[in-house]
Amino acid sequence: MADQARHAIELQILRYRPAQDDEPYFVSYKVDYTDEMSVLEALQSIKDDQDGSLSFRWSCRMAVCGSCGMMIEGEPKLACSTFLRDLAPGPVRIAPLENFPIERDLVVTVADFVKKIESIYPFIMPKEKKPVEAGEYLQTPAQMAAYEPFSDCINCMLCYAACPQFGANPDFIGPGAMALLQRYNGDSRDTGSRERLDLIHGEDGVWSCTAVGLCSEACPKLVDPANAVNQNKTNSAFDFFLRALRKEHRP
Amino acid sequence: MSERKPYIRRQDRLWWASRRYRAYTLRELSGVGVAVYGGVILAGLYSVRRGPDAYAAFVEWLSTPFAMALHLVLLAAMLLHGITWFQTLPKTMPRLIVGGEAVPQKTITNAALGMAMLCTLAVVIGALS
Repeated sequence: MADQARHAIELQILRYRPAQDDEPYFVSYKVDYTDEMSVLEALQSIKDDQDGSLSFRWSCRMAVCGSCGMMIEGEPKLACSTFLRDLAPGPVRIAPLENFPIERDLVVTVADFVKKIESIYPFIMPKEKKPVEAGEYLQTPAQMAAYEPFSDCINCMLCYAACPQFGANPDFIGPGAMALLQRYNGDSRDTGSRERLDLIHGEDGVWSCTAVGLCSEACPKLVDPANAVNQNKTNSAFDFFLRALRKEHRP
Repeated sequence: MSERKPYIRRQDRLWWASRRYRAYTLRELSGVGVAVYGGVILAGLYSVRRGPDAYAAFVEWLSTPFAMALHLVLLAAMLLHGITWFQTLPKTMPRLIVGGEAVPQKTITNAALGMAMLCTLAVVIGALS
């Protein structure tokens, strides 16, 4: 590390301390960085050496936990997988994820998002429950390929920050929750898609989406949430026209 | 100790005009071009119904500089609309699994675009022959 060239870069970070501030404002910090230094490491160095009150979420440092999502130069990114060398010479603007309320500095409110992913019945609902002794629910590789990418979501919420329709309607269930919904709906072992129908109908369901498509571009795990949302428009439309033909009663 | 006071940022009313959403806004705007072109076609059909004089006047209008320029703009809008339409297509359908593996979205887009171009070519050749 020591023999590597170090360069200085300016980070302009949106700060907001709820006890003192009425609104957020940018504060400038200078950081020495090396080629392999991520934005997250820069934030950690600021917190260690310059201002211990700077708040941000992080955990795994390797794009697995989904904690360090933030707006970097206006784009939703994971701070741990965004490198200062790509942002040089700066200054680099860093702000909390767009479309979410700011709790403090780079920390946003996640409660609504958590409620949404809880609401979609995020578990496999098998047709018949069988005891463990009866063995696994089998699945072919082709059946798995039908939903597999949707199971890669790390709940980082970058897709929500990329979605202008979520910005306009915070009740819109949004790309991430819809990807998780499709992860179960598309699973051959699951029979819960009927229960999940009410969540995809209406403006707060899939119909707020206008296929902007930036959610899929923002996704660091290539989940393609835009695909999940838009194929459920078809499901919602089918149900709208065909529900009268269904025999069984829906509560 | 809790000092929660979440700050809510307002969404810019002109978000669709920002650089980030420019491609999307142009795509949506191209739909207006498609609608206008539909109007031009309908006007032509209506002139046929009104008789040979009206149709001749319509054809004459088509060769005015304004109509030429309009059609150039509409052609650009139609092309943009067509290409982005097929780019969106794989996002709207379930993942296509062939031989146990998902077909890449680009393949679906290219196949559909190719089909559309073949159909267009067939119509143009049919109209000219």
